[in-house]
Parts: sequence; C-alpha cells; structure tokens
Amino acid sequence: MTTTAQPSRGQILLDRGASLPLILPATLLVLVFLVGPFYYMAYTAMTDLSFANPDQNGAFIGFDNFRKLVREDTIFWGSFWRTIRFVAIAVSIEFVIGFALAWLIWRYVERQRLLTTLLLVPMMLAPVAVGLIWRLLLQGDFGMATHYLRAVGLLSQSSAVFSTPSLVMPTIIAIDVWQWTPFVTLIILAGLMSMPRSPFEAATMDGAGPWRQFFDIMLPLLRPIIALVLLLRGIDAFKEFDKVFIMTGGGPGTVSELLSIYAYRVNFKTWNLGYGAAVSFMVYLVVLILCSVFYKAVYWKSADQRAQA
Amino acid sequence: MAVSFKQVTKRFADGTVALDHLDLDFELGEFVVLLGPSGSGKTTACRLLAGLEQPSSGRIEIDGKDVTNVPPRFRGIGMVFQNYALYSHKSVFENIAYPLRIRKVPAADIERSVRDVADLLRIGDYLKRKPAQLSGGQAQRVAVARALVWEPAICLMDEPLSNLDALLRLHMRTELNRLHRKLDKTFVFVTHDQEEAMTLATRIAVLKDGRLVQFDEPKTIYRKPANRFVAEFMGRPAMNTIDGMVEGGVFRAGAVACPVDRSDGPVTLGIRPEQIELAAASTPGAMTLTVDVKEAVEPDTLLIFQNSGGNAITLRTQANCDAIEAGQPVSLAFPKSALHYFDARTGQRVE
Amino acid sequence: MSKSWKILAFGILACVLVIALTPYVWILLTSFKGRLDILSPQPTWFFTPTFANYPAVFIDKEYLPLVFNSLIIACGSTALSIMIGAPAAYVFARTDFAGKEDLFFFFLTTRMAPPISIAVPLFLFFTTLGLTDTIYAVVIAHTTFNLSLVVWMMRGFFAEIPKEIDEAAMMDGRSKLGAFVRVIVPLAAPGLAATAVLCFIMSWNEFLYAFILVAFEGRPLTVGIPGLITPHGTLWGQVAAVAVVATLPIIVFTFLVQKHLVRGLTFGAVKG
Repeated sequence: MTTTAQPSRGQILLDRGASLPLILPATLLVLVFLVGPFYYMAYTAMTDLSFANPDQNGAFIGFDNFRKLVREDTIFWGSFWRTIRFVAIAVSIEFVIGFALAWLIWRYVERQRLLTTLLLVPMMLAPVAVGLIWRLLLQGDFGMATHYLRAVGLLSQSSAVFSTPSLVMPTIIAIDVWQWTPFVTLIILAGLMSMPRSPFEAATMDGAGPWRQFFDIMLPLLRPIIALVLLLRGIDAFKEFDKVFIMTGGGPGTVSELLSIYAYRVNFKTWNLGYGAAVSFMVYLVVLILCSVFYKAVYWKSADQRAQA
Repeated sequence: MAVSFKQVTKRFADGTVALDHLDLDFELGEFVVLLGPSGSGKTTACRLLAGLEQPSSGRIEIDGKDVTNVPPRFRGIGMVFQNYALYSHKSVFENIAYPLRIRKVPAADIERSVRDVADLLRIGDYLKRKPAQLSGGQAQRVAVARALVWEPAICLMDEPLSNLDALLRLHMRTELNRLHRKLDKTFVFVTHDQEEAMTLATRIAVLKDGRLVQFDEPKTIYRKPANRFVAEFMGRPAMNTIDGMVEGGVFRAGAVACPVDRSDGPVTLGIRPEQIELAAASTPGAMTLTVDVKEAVEPDTLLIFQNSGGNAITLRTQANCDAIEAGQPVSLAFPKSALHYFDARTGQRVE
Repeated sequence: MSKSWKILAFGILACVLVIALTPYVWILLTSFKGRLDILSPQPTWFFTPTFANYPAVFIDKEYLPLVFNSLIIACGSTALSIMIGAPAAYVFARTDFAGKEDLFFFFLTTRMAPPISIAVPLFLFFTTLGLTDTIYAVVIAHTTFNLSLVVWMMRGFFAEIPKEIDEAAMMDGRSKLGAFVRVIVPLAAPGLAATAVLCFIMSWNEFLYAFILVAFEGRPLTVGIPGLITPHGTLWGQVAAVAVVATLPIIVFTFLVQKHLVRGLTFGAVKG
C-alpha cells in the first residue's frame, strides 16, 4: 500500500510555477534579438549616423529624418506607392486565380494529394532561386520564356523583358503570381474541405441554386480563411525583396525599386544608416498594422470557436 | 484513513464559485458518490482532492495530514478520467504499467501487478494492443486498471461511465461494485446520474451550487430527502412536489385534496410516483383527476395528470392499466405514510 | 454534361501544372547542359547531358562548403527554436495567465517583422558582439523568426492533446514538468517533426538576414547565388546547378510534411 509521502521543496517546485521557466527563454530571445533591435532602429532613425560621411557620427537630430522622408523624398514615395500597387495587384490576381483553382480541385478532383503537392513546388523554392530561375528564363538572348514570348508575338524581337521599363513591374507581378498562387489555392482548399455539408444540403432543400449557394453559404463560411489568406499574402508581398533583388536589383533605374529594396540601398549602398533606419521604420510600421489586423481576424475566429465549444 | 474537506471554497479566475465552504468527511473503504447537476461543483471537489486544482480557501486533509498544497503525485491517489486519458502511443500494458515505472518498481513486479489487475478487470487478452484498438468499455477498464495498479489508498472516478452506451454502463456499474467489495479501497465517484449513485454508493453526497445539500446512505437519501431539490433529483420519474395549503387537516392544491397530519398553512407536499395508489372513487380521501398522458414502460405504466395549478402529477404503477385511456378521469389516493413535507418557502424538509 | 465539365476542369488544372512546373524543370535541365546548349537562341529540350557543371561550381569554385553552412545554419536554428519554442507553446496551450494573448501576439510579430527593418540594427548589434560574418549570427537571426512558427504551430498540436493526459500523468506520479517532457512531448512527436521540417525549410530558403549578416565566412548557399551572376558571361550551367542543389532537398521535405503544411503556413490558424 502506497502512503502519502512528504514531498521535498525542490519536488514541489517542479509542480508549481512550472510555466515561467518554460516560457522565459523564448520571451528573452525575442526581447534581445527583436524588440531590442526594433528600439535601436527607432533610435537610429533619430540620428544622422552614416558610415559614408565621417561628419555624421550619430548625433541626435530628432524627427529630421522622418520630416525629410515624408516631405522631400520623392524616391521614397515612388517606391512606397510602387510597393502598394505591387501588393494590391499581385495579391488580387493570386486570390482570384487561387480561389478558382481551389474550387476546381475541390469540385472535380477526388485524389488531390499528388496534385496539390506538385502545385506546391513554386512556393517552396527559395525566393532567391525563383529569382534566378526567372532571370534565366527571361534572359534577352537565349531565355526560354523570352523565345516563346517572341514566338507568340507578346514581345518584340529585339527587346528583353527586364530591360524594357514598362514591362518590368508587370513581369515581377506575374512571377509573384506564379510563385504564390498555389499558396492561396492550398489554404482555400483546406477551408473548402473543412466546410460542413449540412448547410449546402439545407440550402438545396430550400431551393437555392448553385450561385445563391456560392454567395449565401460558401463565401460567408470561408470568410475567416479568405481574410487570413489575404493578410498573410499582403504582409509577405509587402516585404518582397529576394526575387526582385536577384532579377533586377530595383532597376532599370528605379522602376522596380520596392520599399525594402530602397531601404537596402539607403542602408547598405549609401551607408546612410540614420536615414535608412527611418525608411526601415516606415516599412515595419505598415507591416505591424497589417499584422495586428491579421491577429484580430484570427483571434476573432478562435474566440468564435470557443463560444461554440 | 479519513478524508476531510474543511470549509473548502474554489473560485475560478472568471469569478465562478464552484465550491462554497464545503465540509465533507468520509472514512477508508467507503464508496462515496458525489452527485449533482452540472455546475454543482462535484467535479471540482474531485479535482481538488486529486490535487489537480488548488482551493481558494479552506483545507483538505487525508489521514489527518494537510495536503492542500501537496502536488498530486505525493497524495497516493489514483484517478479515472471521463475520457479515459489513455496514452495513445503506449500499449495497454505500458499504460497500466506507467505509474509503476515512474515509481521504479522492479520489472518482474510490474509484470505481475499489471497481469493481476488486468485479470481482475478482465482485460488480460488486450495487453498488447494500442488504446485506439480498444472499444469504449475496454478503454474504460484500462483506465481503471491504471488507477488501481499501484494500489493507491484512494481511487477517484470523474464520470467514468458517461461515455459508455447504456448497456455497457449497467455492466461496468456491476463490475465497479464487485471491485469495491473485493479491494476494500476508498472510491470517490462523480456522477450526475442518480441511478448510478444509488447502486454504487455507500454514501451519497448531493451537491448543488457548490454546497453540500445532503450526505447520507442511498436509502436515507431516497426515503428522507433533506429538501425539495434532493427529493426531485432522486428517483425516476422524479418525486411529485405540489405547492398548496393545509386547511383543517386537508391539503389542497387545485384538484388535489388529501388528509394530512399538519397544522394549517402553506406547505409543499411530496409523494413519489410509485407510492400513489389507484383507488376506487368511494375510498375516503380519494381524489379524481383526468389522465393527460399515458406512457407504458413495461411492466410499469406511467399516468400523467395535469393538475389545475399547472403542476403535472405522475403516477407509476404495476397494476393493469389497459382500460385507462388519456382524457379519462381516474381516482387516486395519497397514503399518509408516503407523504413528504417541505417548507413552502425554503424547501427544507419538515417532519 | 457534368462529364465534359470535368474534362474541362482537368484540362485547366493540367495547364496550370505545366506552368507551375516548367520553370523548375528548365533549370533542372539547364544544370545538365553544356555551354552551347544553354546559349542556343532556340530552346533545346533534348541534348546530350553533361555533369560538368556540378563539380565546376561545387569543387572548383568551392561552393561545397556553402552547402554545409546552409545545413549547419538550418539544423542549428531549427534545434534552437524547437527547444526554446516548444515549451513556450505548451504554456500557451495549457495555462491561462494575464496578458497571455498579448504575449502570443508579440510572438507573431517576430515572424512578420520585415527582415530589412530588423537586419540593420541586428547587423550593428552583432558587429558590437564581434559575431558578424560568423555562422552564429545567422543561426540566431533565423531562430528569432522560426521561434514564432514553433510557438504558433505547436500551440495547436499541444492543444489537441486532451488536458486529461497531463493530469493522468500527474496522477500516475509525474510532476507537471515531468508530464510535459515524458508524456506530452512524445505524444506530440509527429507535430514536432513537421514543425521542425518547416523550420528547416524556412531557414534554408532565407536570404536577406544571411546576406546582410555574413558576406564571406559562413555564408549559406542562398547568399552564394548572387555572386555567380555577372553583368556579362554568367555561367548559367553552374548557376542552375547551385539552384538545383539549393532547392531539391526542400522539394523532398515538402513531400514529407505536406499534411501539416497548411497549418504551418497559416500559423496554426487552419488545420488542413
């Protein structure tokens, strides 16, 4: 017969307050390597620090950098609006095509495993490799895609995509669509698969046709997932760097200079770190706003589920 | 080895008071059933005794020792969970052996103990299986075996039968009775099913809103319910409780009129459905009510009457009722010896 | 009627599949082409394969160590983020405490933080510590963003294990910590493995942090890629060989964790 043993202090410690030591390392790591840098960035943004100019050794200048950025820097605003356009157009196209593909797969394909896995290939590739692949494909003299684009008349014989300014951004958007549409398809498909059957059966009994069912039942049911996909894609697209950096480096000129590429140029090409920090801060700000909207959407959904449980 | 709750209160973070100054004592070898509707605090009481929760105030003692702040593993208590909580990655044998492995019992002893308890629970043939390959009843037995294998002094069971289908539940009930007789351990069993409580318990603790309403042997609880709540909770169908007035030695409420030994004033009269008698219209004290619904629960028949006060009165009888139809008047008698009285205001039992 | 719709659907999906896969197939082919086949203005689909590109770039140009760097960085940051992140995820799944959801959101922001914003201060920070141009800097940087992936994903996996399992382990004689290490972690092993593979992929594919933090010593394969591209006379066969080596392991891994991918990509919000 086992009797109640008297526990020692240390043994009790294993049972009480066990949460803190489990969560502390993660919190500390993030504080030191993420929150710390964030505040350091915010501070640097208020200095004139530059590695290129010995006179600018990091004196505190308040909001001068931000004032200059917002009021005078046309290159910044150019890249800002370019980025917004890029995000809006690329994500919209990805969403429409991705949704349509998900619906097709859901509706007509019974054994989806292999198909979805193959579709995943573009988005699992390292973005740098994607940039590389397309740079090769669109190479002016011997690029395979260039050849076929010329063959069908979409591209004139003498021009190349990345040296024709008007074609650069549309091409970058097309490549982003190529890489990330499968992401939308995959997530929406998961949403479609987890939809309950009964509302559709009930709607059929109530006499609703396919279009009504789509708008009255399917879309509302998928709303949280749609919000999720749009936000995740929006945040990622806003941060886009790797592909564009490899393919065009922001050029020709600045026609494909997205915000993060501009931030990179200011920081690491001109070594104007104070001003660069101000640019970085603006990028972070937009992402943080998108991020908290994302969290609200997700959290709202899980609160909903808790209410049902 | 006695267990006692002393003024135990449990308030959760969201402000709900699950237990409100609970006092409860019982002895070694008892089969105590904590009975109550959902939200009565019965599960909380069980989890406090296990050590899975800490009381907000008050103390819990086992064998005279204060265990209020002692972690579960030092309390010498085994527990069976409602959803069995078997380790899905371990075989049945390893599930049962797990408490012994933690206590570093020699392998040979583990083998023997597991076999013994598995035989006792008749799951000896399934020891090599994984939990996913078991039926609900078998999984239940494994959970019980795991709770008993290391011979804890107390075994807690939190609604262990509620996930089983009706037939299996009856069967497991019998098994648990057998187990208790054989092992002479303290069992604490949580349920909302009054029939389970009646058949298993040596004593039943009826809880409501975090308070102990009555703690007694099953037959006392049935025969002398401490208040209207217990009276209505125990027995199927529930005891009829009728609010009415006593005037000149006669209780009246709508069409009900029966002689009682009580002084004048408002009172709640209680009578169990099976104790109402079908009587001839001429019997003194008989009343006539119209049958609203007739339900045949062979071999019994339930007759439900609609009293003019709005309360239904249910009668349960084994007499042949083939002749009685809904809508027909029937004469009834309430035998004086079968009557319970409850305070019209507080609901407490009055003798 | 419905039959022809189905054929149409399959036709569309087949086209999509061709568009999705052709570029990758092309780079695969290119990595086995000789110079003339690559530079031919007419795309060559059939050619005599050569294996010269691989040794040329990995041995002669010494890109092989970069593969090992990539491996070390990916494995190191994966191990670190799992070891630090899984316990935190467990707390998020099991314990209620004031400010829990805020702290959880805080972990999300680590994932979302634009590398270009954090990399600069991190670069200055590591310079002070003398860690720039070492593998450690990249491992730590990758750990910060993988950590949130672990916390978010594992919270879901842990939450799927009934709380009663912890409690049963405690009744069986484990401490709270013991229940986590000895019972919950083994039960969550499949989820843990999937999370680890995703972390590996994220780290392996990452470019910007690594690019800024290490220029020479300890740079991973992704950082080595831009160096192969020159304004004139880029050796595309070798570039393709590097691209193939940089992507093939990831494709294999993708097949392995396909089941858990949706959950990973949506931070546990969609189970898939």
